[in-house]
Amino acid sequence: MYKKLKPYLMLLPVMVVMSVFILGLISAVLQSFGYIPIFGMTEITLRHYMNILESRSFFRALAFSIYISFASGGISVFIGTYVAYLIYRNKKETLWVRTLYKIPIAVPHAIAVLLVFIMLTQSGVLSRILYNLGVIDNLMEFPELIFDRGGVGIIIAYTWKGIPFIIMITLGILKKIDLRLVDTALNLGASKKEAWWQVEFPMILPTIFTGFILLFAFSFGAFEVPFLIGPSAPRALPVVAYIQYTSIDLSLRPQAMVINVIISMISLILVYVYILAFRSIKKYFG
Amino acid sequence: MKDFFSKLIIFIILLPLIPLMLWPFIASWRWPQLIPLFGEARGFKHFFSAGSNSVNILLFSVFLSIVVTIITLAIALPAAKAIAFYSFRGKNMIKTIILLPVIVPMVAVSMGIHVSFIYLGLANNCIGVILIHLIPGLPYAVRILLNSFLLIGDDIATQGKNLGANSLQVLWHITLPLIMPGVIAASTMVYIISFSQYFITFLIGGGRVVTFSMLMFPLIERGERVLASTYSVVFLASILLVVIVGDKAMKGFFSDSNFLV
Repeated sequence: MYKKLKPYLMLLPVMVVMSVFILGLISAVLQSFGYIPIFGMTEITLRHYMNILESRSFFRALAFSIYISFASGGISVFIGTYVAYLIYRNKKETLWVRTLYKIPIAVPHAIAVLLVFIMLTQSGVLSRILYNLGVIDNLMEFPELIFDRGGVGIIIAYTWKGIPFIIMITLGILKKIDLRLVDTALNLGASKKEAWWQVEFPMILPTIFTGFILLFAFSFGAFEVPFLIGPSAPRALPVVAYIQYTSIDLSLRPQAMVINVIISMISLILVYVYILAFRSIKKYFG
Repeated sequence: MKDFFSKLIIFIILLPLIPLMLWPFIASWRWPQLIPLFGEARGFKHFFSAGSNSVNILLFSVFLSIVVTIITLAIALPAAKAIAFYSFRGKNMIKTIILLPVIVPMVAVSMGIHVSFIYLGLANNCIGVILIHLIPGLPYAVRILLNSFLLIGDDIATQGKNLGANSLQVLWHITLPLIMPGVIAASTMVYIISFSQYFITFLIGGGRVVTFSMLMFPLIERGERVLASTYSVVFLASILLVVIVGDKAMKGFFSDSNFLV
């Protein structure tokens, strides 16, 4: 009996902590239906979902969040994979390149925002460099990249942390590839390029995909970066949720929870789609 | 040419760290000058001044995150071991649940749990903050330790048991020394994640539990470059210091018992 129970006992403490997480999710769902007994709100209603789904500003925020996560995740994956590939190919790559690139992974997003701020405001380092190179004549010629409606500052902050993350996980998986497979392909007459696309790339594809999903899900649900350097319109979804949540008007809380539930649902659906896609990739490549 | 490209990208990524480290010492930096005018380190003066209480908050913050790291590791170790070496019903579901915090944003979950925390007396105090800080690092800790366990296997521990060691001796003299690289990697990760949390600390701590992130965040929000850079540099330096000292301490602690090396 004890033997059967043992793994569950070993998992118990972790599951206790995870139950806080699960309860948080369930509580968010209940509150989104207007059920907050502490505030005397006990009527279960779909009204708050209606309110949110009828507002145009919600869809603008949703579109903005998806755009930011997609762009920053996509750019990170594109550049990160390419740099990882170059480092992997260059066996003599110096140690500093192989270690220093990891620094941004450990730097919190708030500091990444500060870096964007220092470099890319109109009076930032880049605008000074451009002036001294004669590219621009005055401060106003430098584009507004911070608090801009295009979210460029936000995307750059996420990309700054995303690229090294993708390099790290891609290099990790590239190192594990059995080089005999590549050699076989080359012996059978494949060019280096063909070997990459036919042998190595399919093997790292699931990892790259995982990396994209992780980056997307993180930036889709994170509050700090868009709060610090995002425009006031449109706002990212988590920022909208936060503003409604902290409003003195307690009746806005269920709406904040509706947004939270929608963010969580989209993240979960994304992972589900990913798992399905992963299966078909596996099937395709054997 | 291609080697140059990878170096260029990494250089561009690392470049902004240089002005970040210079800003604390800048007195004035007029546009479009390339070279700033250096002066006294106003930010550091503020940091060390008794009035700002920053040093105490930093120490408290380090302490809090170390406590979070120790608890996370203590609960993640048996969990990772159970997943690695036992087969039981519901294993896949439990693995999925543990992975959830990586996907479902903490912003949503912490807002959801906030009311319950207030009701249970867990809001606005350290216990609640520690509890909520356990969540974001946990998936990484379990994942890293699970990989370590799978790498070393169960054989050596079984041998120790067969030779008469009790469970505690096996843990202390065999398992921990063997998975030490994993423990160090997991601790580093969990510590950094906890130390960097702004939103959940702010929400659950209700402003009563003040961590270093909460000092730094408003400075960045205001775009106060000298102070924001100073606190950011201190932030990063403290992480580096704790990680290095922690790494040395853990290695030293288990070097005696590591009979395999």
